[in-house]
Amino acid sequence: MTTTLIEGLKERISTSISMYESIGIILPGTNYTDLVQALFGCIKEHPNDVWVYITVTRPFDSFVKMFGDISRYPNVMFIDCISRASGIVRRDEQCIYIESPTMLERVAMELNNIFNKAPEGSGKHLVLDSLTTLMIYNDPSLVTEFFYQLLNKTRAEGIHSISLVVEEGELDKYINKLIYLNDKILKVRDSFI
Amino acid sequence: MMNTGEKCETGIKELDVQMDGGIPVGSTVLVSGSSGSGKTTLCMQFLVNGAKKGEKGLFFTITEPLFKLMGNLEKFEFFDKSLVDSGMITIIDLRIIFERMGLDSEKYTVEDASALLDVIKDIAKELNAKRLVIDSITALCYRLQTREMIRDFIFKLGTFLADMKCTTFLTSEVPPGKFAFSQYGIEEFISDGIMFLGDVERGGDLVRTLQIVKMRGVNHSRAKYAMNISSRGVELAPLLKTR
Repeated sequence: MTTTLIEGLKERISTSISMYESIGIILPGTNYTDLVQALFGCIKEHPNDVWVYITVTRPFDSFVKMFGDISRYPNVMFIDCISRASGIVRRDEQCIYIESPTMLERVAMELNNIFNKAPEGSGKHLVLDSLTTLMIYNDPSLVTEFFYQLLNKTRAEGIHSISLVVEEGELDKYINKLIYLNDKILKVRDSFI
Repeated sequence: MMNTGEKCETGIKELDVQMDGGIPVGSTVLVSGSSGSGKTTLCMQFLVNGAKKGEKGLFFTITEPLFKLMGNLEKFEFFDKSLVDSGMITIIDLRIIFERMGLDSEKYTVEDASALLDVIKDIAKELNAKRLVIDSITALCYRLQTREMIRDFIFKLGTFLADMKCTTFLTSEVPPGKFAFSQYGIEEFISDGIMFLGDVERGGDLVRTLQIVKMRGVNHSRAKYAMNISSRGVELAPLLKTR
């Protein structure tokens, strides 16, 4: 059942990224791991593309625990905004650690640096995990401004973006406004497949 | 300032964009900020980027011994020690010059200041420097006894270097949390430009900022930018407007 769900998600994401520049994914917390697995499936399926995974929800360490050796996915670079703030100190080749999830401009600078180094002609993808967690650490107006900037920048530079929203009950009004700025919305439901 | 229309690119892309391509050649720019705000790094990046384009750079330090300065610089990816070894960048500890000139008193006379100015001018001329940094002008001004002496010193130095088409950065130390550009309140009026390095608090964290307050001869941005200092050096991004 889970494998089918992950495969289904992967297929929906793959199809969407080939058609739309920005995708918003709304999912229940219980399906978070399934979605991450589906995203990593997509990353593996596009080995010549450059992926940046901004994690605010879980530390990089938990991705290592989930997927083992991340170097098996050499085309993904993590920007971890949560480890340092949680007191986790480690160094990793494929991860840039940001001191705090409030340092949103630093995230923008690191994104710039990574995508500037991307080989010419390669596809560029960005995963923002998640708008929900960013709202916990920042003023909603700040996240709104950041998200507008991010979408404008990614659209201008041909970067495909995937923004996650973890739905717990009713959606926050700010998140609700932001997620619909994307070109395409995928809602993950138990009845999804 | 010699406004010939030529621009001196700092080599920091976002900064040059804010100044419509760069600083007018021959300008004297005050780089103000509190301790640890990134003044020295910004200045050194300005010199290194110039040297990589063939423009000779001269760095006068008063606040840090040479070995410490070099040790800090070697951690940056932009720094290339061969530029120092080849003479494209010359780093001089001004305190050694003070000693050699017998300027060991805490306060200088007009003659002392004039002699020091001549030495700095001679070195700049001999090396044909196109970019020059004094780190910090505050420490130097401390030895000048009156506001008139400070004004005279900076004005004469700036005029001479402008004639040489040498663009100059003077670092200015200000107390943390204050929107002031200098210690003595004169330096900003004689300078052609002011870059202010500060910070804003967000959720208890401090975000570094850079703002161009003044740049004569340039239609520059006055927006505050977020600044980061990493192994790559100074980087800028538009600052999100906090409430």
